[in-house]
Amino acid sequence: MASPSSSMNPPSPALKTYFKSPEGRYKLQYEKTHPAGLLHYSHGKSVSQLIIAYLKEKSASQGPSAPSTPSSSSVVKSAAARLFVGVNGSKTFSYGGTNGGSKVASGTSKFGGTFGAGSSSSPVASNYDGKGAYLIFNAGDTLFISDLNSSDKDPIKAIHFSSSNPLCHSFDSEAKDGHDLLIGLQSGDIYTVSLRQQLQDLGKKLVGAQHYNKDGTINSSRCTCVAWVPDGDGIFVVAHADGNLYVYEKSKDGAVDPSFPAIKDPTQFTVAHARSSRSNPTIRWHICQGSINSMSFSIDGTYLATVGRDGYLRVFDYYKERLFCGGKSYYGALLCCAWSPDGKYILIGGEDDLVQVWSMDARKIVACGEGHNSWVSGVAFDSYWSAPNSDGNSDGTAENAMYRFGSVGQDTRLLLWDLEMDEIVVPQRYNPLGGSPTLSSGSHSSAHWDSAPSIGTLQPPPSMRDVPKLSPLSAHRVHVEPLSGLIFTRESVVTICREGHIKIWARPGDGDVSEANSDSGFTTATAKDRHVAAPSVKVNGSSYKLSASNFIRN
Amino acid sequence: MGATASKLEKALGDQFPEGERYFGLENFGNTSSLFGDGFSLLEQLLEYYSNNKNVAEVDENLLTCLADLFNQCQIVARLTPRSDWRITEINSSKKKTGVIAPKRFVQRVKKQNELFRSYMHQDAHEFLNFLLNELVDILEKEGNDINDSPGTSSQAEQNVNGPVHLQENGAKKEPLLTWVHKSFQGILTNETRCLRCETVTARDETFLDLSLDIEQNSSITSCLKNFSSTETLNAEDKFFCDKCCSLQEAQKRMKIKKPPNVLVIHLKRFKYIEQLGRYKKLSYRVVFPLELKLSNTVENADSEYSLFAVVVHVGSGPNHGHYISLVKSHNHWLFFDDENVEMMDESHVQTFFGSAQEYSSNTDHGYILFYENLSVGN
Repeated sequence: MASPSSSMNPPSPALKTYFKSPEGRYKLQYEKTHPAGLLHYSHGKSVSQLIIAYLKEKSASQGPSAPSTPSSSSVVKSAAARLFVGVNGSKTFSYGGTNGGSKVASGTSKFGGTFGAGSSSSPVASNYDGKGAYLIFNAGDTLFISDLNSSDKDPIKAIHFSSSNPLCHSFDSEAKDGHDLLIGLQSGDIYTVSLRQQLQDLGKKLVGAQHYNKDGTINSSRCTCVAWVPDGDGIFVVAHADGNLYVYEKSKDGAVDPSFPAIKDPTQFTVAHARSSRSNPTIRWHICQGSINSMSFSIDGTYLATVGRDGYLRVFDYYKERLFCGGKSYYGALLCCAWSPDGKYILIGGEDDLVQVWSMDARKIVACGEGHNSWVSGVAFDSYWSAPNSDGNSDGTAENAMYRFGSVGQDTRLLLWDLEMDEIVVPQRYNPLGGSPTLSSGSHSSAHWDSAPSIGTLQPPPSMRDVPKLSPLSAHRVHVEPLSGLIFTRESVVTICREGHIKIWARPGDGDVSEANSDSGFTTATAKDRHVAAPSVKVNGSSYKLSASNFIRN
Repeated sequence: MGATASKLEKALGDQFPEGERYFGLENFGNTSSLFGDGFSLLEQLLEYYSNNKNVAEVDENLLTCLADLFNQCQIVARLTPRSDWRITEINSSKKKTGVIAPKRFVQRVKKQNELFRSYMHQDAHEFLNFLLNELVDILEKEGNDINDSPGTSSQAEQNVNGPVHLQENGAKKEPLLTWVHKSFQGILTNETRCLRCETVTARDETFLDLSLDIEQNSSITSCLKNFSSTETLNAEDKFFCDKCCSLQEAQKRMKIKKPPNVLVIHLKRFKYIEQLGRYKKLSYRVVFPLELKLSNTVENADSEYSLFAVVVHVGSGPNHGHYISLVKSHNHWLFFDDENVEMMDESHVQTFFGSAQEYSSNTDHGYILFYENLSVGN
């Protein structure tokens, strides 16, 4: 699978098909892209963003709630055949079959369990009523869906939007009725659809969609980010380029104009509830002046973090509709944010080329990563990674709280980082009580900090001389184009560039087993099996639900 | 042009800043394309000029031509309330937008410097240098004529731009500080540490702009970091250490000792490629943030800057092309292309970053960036 440089990519300093990390080599497993030539010069305005949708096995209630197109088996079959053209039959991925998948799925992990079971060994047997992991990404005026576990480069589905470009998306695998995919457009329009129904349909249009903010009547500025509220029962939020965020209920029709009051001071945070209970959206949050560039819910849905053009990270208590904490970038806009699986830290990245770590306990920046040569466009914690010394420590109270995270930037590089809170020593700042000037992983870590800022306030830019510095473990140029996002899966790291080319980097096998199989480009089933099994040690409690709304921003 | 003008007025609507006028400049033969850049700079000059204008001018020089030009077009962009703006009153025109022909100024430029006399396209950065140096000369001369104070010796340094103008540490030379200096001049410290005796030699030099080497898919922050990164002088390139009295290996780095009020960053997009035996335009994608901090400073204070103007070079090669400029005025971004003046969304600035890959149809690249120091006056 040596990367066949696509026709769109002129020869450039050769990109390596692997990169090293302390635990071994990450290898380019396969690439995904979309039909070349489809993208005309788009002034760089539409940036490809990626989510992974883990489609669960169809529940007892048959079919999507909306009346679907006649889904006769023949239709499904032909679509499936088209879908898996190019899957190398002999090299398909067994992953120990569906057993492995369901075994892990028995945990509380929301999405992780179903991963990897998408394409079974026989392409013919696959159909859309089964499970699967799908890459969903936008490019130009089209939303593409690719099968994560197929080696096929081309998407299995392309949905064209005639009126405006799709920009952001979110998937909810726990959706009660069929509508689980949320799409935000440049025009401000929003759609919810059933992913399964899109996959079953052969056309190039969105089917069975519910339409919100039609023609931008409520807000005509660009949708920058969409998210399902975790366990929110079909409630979702949409962030716009004008600093507003709206709360919608997917079941509601929204026949009544919500008529929110005018915003008096655009720099002030305000929340306005719609006057009529029959309107949809139901609530408007005015968050900041300028664009909200990205947002992310904490795993349990308690907090909502937003980052924006004004350079501020804001963390809101979502249900109380109050600002909890936040702070300013070193300089420039912030472009991306991501929660740690345990909800203790938030990564932020932006136009100051820095990856910073925000502590929810200390309510300030506790570490700052220098290593990118350009803006940081995507950050994510690796929730599947387990610290080398944490074996057998299944209760998760390892002495050294260790986190692995990754970042991608407009410098076309992927950086991996370790965050070991015990190692971080705050320079020239000592606890007057004589404690160690470190952050502990315990729940009382704020006690180690002289005066955590009070709740509900925003912090000024950190002084770079006071914040502990992090250096990346590895830095690797992964694409020829600036990157726009990354997602960790159980088996891999997935990177996407602004133009919508995706690379899937397989994690190192145990003892680098994959070395022996490097000719195939795939790690063997045994290596995979081990991988599926290993992290289960850490999958305890809800903290390891991988959020499908892992937003990827430019 | 009338249509465009009204379009801009329509776009701005009620928000059209009071007392503000946005005029395009007619492209005067090939030479005028260098005005694209003029704009962002001129309005800045204007502000200072308005504060410092010497009433007793006699001869026509570049400065008077410039003033005249502004008098005509009244681009009072960025004019802060604290400025005492006199020229405004002279202009009785009601027109808020339009086009003017910078005839006199162009003639003067051509007269002054034969470089700009030809019909060749000129480099905006060279022009900016020429203009600033020329203005400094005029102002210093004026200053001397007026003050004639023996204390200031401004004769010695004519070319104030860049490394040519060296100022030894502790030397008592105090050239007259014109408003050009006050706004654009900063001081760099060149620190060289001899690796044998560990002595650090610091040499200050003034600058009116920073010329940065660029890399593909990088940021201004990264370019600035490279600019200040430690460089080892060895082999052919050893350093003469005064203490060791011999050539020694040394480490050198540039720090910013005094950040300027207006930071002008010039991206070295035109590079001589030895293999080709000619200059080539680097279309690299270099992102520039709307806010910037200089962290490579001698003192620990970070000075924060805000982007207010960009000179964009349009074209694929070094020998032809066109200049346009983007100017932020009263929180609106304006797009100046010869006689065209249009409103522009802030997010549109990013379309001028450059091309992420070499062969691209995008040829509009940010070339000179103007950042203003936010801490000035506060």
